[in-house]
Amino acid sequence: MTNLLNDDIRGQVRQAFEQLQEPVQILFFGSKEQCEYCDDTLKLVEEVASLSDKLNVQAFDVEADAAAAQHYNVSLTPGLVIAAEGQDGPIDYGVRYAGIPSGHEFSSLIQDLILVSGRDSGLNEQTREFLAGLTETVTLQVFVTPT
Amino acid sequence: MLAHQMAMESALVQAEMVEATEFPDLSNQYHIMGVPDTVINHGKGKMVGAAPEGQLMAEIMKAIKH
Repeated sequence: MTNLLNDDIRGQVRQAFEQLQEPVQILFFGSKEQCEYCDDTLKLVEEVASLSDKLNVQAFDVEADAAAAQHYNVSLTPGLVIAAEGQDGPIDYGVRYAGIPSGHEFSSLIQDLILVSGRDSGLNEQTREFLAGLTETVTLQVFVTPT
Repeated sequence: MLAHQMAMESALVQAEMVEATEFPDLSNQYHIMGVPDTVINHGKGKMVGAAPEGQLMAEIMKAIKH
């Protein structure tokens, strides 16, 4: 089976992963029904995870594992939850992807893995204070394209 | 990335990167014209294009007040 990532990219990603600190759990949600990019997405995250022993992938199916999909609030497939790996299972920060993270989004994925691994948002003080004062949930959906 | 940083910071924030061409219905629903467009609280607010931290924060504030 051929790899999705060539040797150049693998080398670059390996180098970036030197910044990984704590273990990260990638939760993949796929579907057997009409999901053009599910297989490639799972393959992609598995290849990425194979480049560091701090990364693990757990795969779910939104129909067969409906309870997990509901728990993580995932309905679009392929879906990814980038969680920290805790003692008692994944720690969900609310970091999600809907659709295959390829092209420009591939580098976002790598950066996100490093971000979650560091367990710190890196935001400025003002933003942190504002977010600490939130009293209701906020859902952000950032629409992107691969190119 | 910024949206994901906000999700990291607050347990109340969930941030999803949506690949627009894979989910055209959702993109149409929110009238996505360019990328990256950020939809806040299912359409209560919207930020067009990439923006610095302070601006996204301001847009979230506006959306919450609605």
